[in-house]
Amino acid sequence: MNCNQVSDDNISINSNAEEPCADESKTLLVPLGDRALLIKFGDRLDAEINQRAVLAAKIVKTAKIPGVLEVCPTLVSVLVRYDPQSLGYMQLCDQIRMALSNLAYSGTPKRKKFTISVKYGGKLGPDLEESAARCSLSVAEFIKAHNGSKLHVLATGFAPGFVYCGLHKPQLHIPRRTKLHTKVAPGSVLFAAGQTAISATHVPTGWNVIGHTDFSNFDAADNPPTKLRPGDEISFVSQDSK
Amino acid sequence: MTKIEFIKVGPLVSIQDDGRFGALGHGAAASGPMDRHAYKLAAQMLMQDNHKVANTALESAGGLLKFTLEDANINAAFCGGQFNLKINGVSKEWNMVHALKDGDVVEVAPGASGNYALIRMDHEFLVPEVIKSYATNTVAHLGGYENRLIQAGDKISIAPASEKQSHHIQKLHNDENTPIRVIWGMHAEKFSSHVRNEFLKNTFVISSMLNRMGVRLMDKGNVFKDKLDLSLVSDAIVPGDVQILGDGTPIVLMRDHQPTGGYPRIATVISADLDRFSQLRPGAKFTFSAVTVDHAHKLLKSAG
Repeated sequence: MNCNQVSDDNISINSNAEEPCADESKTLLVPLGDRALLIKFGDRLDAEINQRAVLAAKIVKTAKIPGVLEVCPTLVSVLVRYDPQSLGYMQLCDQIRMALSNLAYSGTPKRKKFTISVKYGGKLGPDLEESAARCSLSVAEFIKAHNGSKLHVLATGFAPGFVYCGLHKPQLHIPRRTKLHTKVAPGSVLFAAGQTAISATHVPTGWNVIGHTDFSNFDAADNPPTKLRPGDEISFVSQDSK
Repeated sequence: MTKIEFIKVGPLVSIQDDGRFGALGHGAAASGPMDRHAYKLAAQMLMQDNHKVANTALESAGGLLKFTLEDANINAAFCGGQFNLKINGVSKEWNMVHALKDGDVVEVAPGASGNYALIRMDHEFLVPEVIKSYATNTVAHLGGYENRLIQAGDKISIAPASEKQSHHIQKLHNDENTPIRVIWGMHAEKFSSHVRNEFLKNTFVISSMLNRMGVRLMDKGNVFKDKLDLSLVSDAIVPGDVQILGDGTPIVLMRDHQPTGGYPRIATVISADLDRFSQLRPGAKFTFSAVTVDHAHKLLKSAG
């Protein structure tokens, strides 16, 4: 047994050229263990690839394929969990291909708009100055640019209610820190890799902590427990400018 | 009020149920028993004795578990691995249902094999439901008793289970000495064919760093000595994923995994072997072997 197994199981969603779908030939179905598969839209983070994943997740969810237990978009892919007792892998691949080709990718999905108020810097935003400097901006310029960024929720992941928002303009792309923050507060506004993430619980992070928001995206007692959905529009506003 | 009072607990004692499935989109893994087979076996044993079966169960790892019962008259199935069980100081058989009454003192000590003991009763733990489950997620700090692991001194109320369950009889674990079977993972192609071959040829050792989130392996054969592509976009994780850290350490991600992660993953342990893997103790040596998805599914079907 060698690794070719992986490619044998891979199916390009676009293999049938007659059926237009909004994905490119790079889209792959890849098994992830024996109870899940991944619809992969690309290897690099890109707003368009992310949108395709978010949309595909909605389509596959709407298709209500019997035996599919959970559909969850990530940054550049969609996780589909299934019950192997009732659904074979190839069967599932066929059904997903069908769902993605029959249903149009047309129309913009419903998006909510959120404006998140941020207290930049201070004790809960220790990396603000350094982040601004890395972008070759003054702190005021950096906050202005950060407030001016029109972002989308790219994915929820890593920890409860933890959202990745992006993408910032290239000028605001800085790498992760080399030194980890072992525990940051819920509501920490994190900045790295062209994105702004918001934590909803205590988490360790290698991202730059630039501020804090009182907005909480996770309450286990709520149904659903999170407020933000991938695709939602996000902008940040400085608390001090209010 | 019927209660369980915990006198001594190891570092990894928690309440589990079938799992918090469906919460990945909110950022939480399903959790659930590390040894799902033991969880089902316990239900089956209770049913065979004509008892009701609770959804919630107690999972214990990492040392002596000692608890006592208050105002109780219950039946409990003790499963998973091979632990040393004592009730009121008298040794009792493991993998068996025992009746427990008011004032009984139960001790579960590590025995011949296994990391995780599973105790499932005809009584439910009365803990709040959190996102449709009672399972403790030790990483996300959700569910179970006060969203945390159980500590000595905790007193938790229990109440008779309401339903009889209909679990199918499961086959027992396969031979402990057979390889841990995997399906090649989402990043398998990022590893050279040489590394993939070595991954299957070499023996790995369970390190002492293991918990509900993951099991670190010792890579004595230096299979992963070469630099890896660490610029991957974060992607979905499933239990059993074998991820390789930047320093070459392989980690098998377990039930309380993070929902997403950015380290390269070479393979995923199949469902039929993940319970057995979770019970491998520090120092245990094993090899991986690769199977197809179809083969993994056939194994699940034959297990019923």
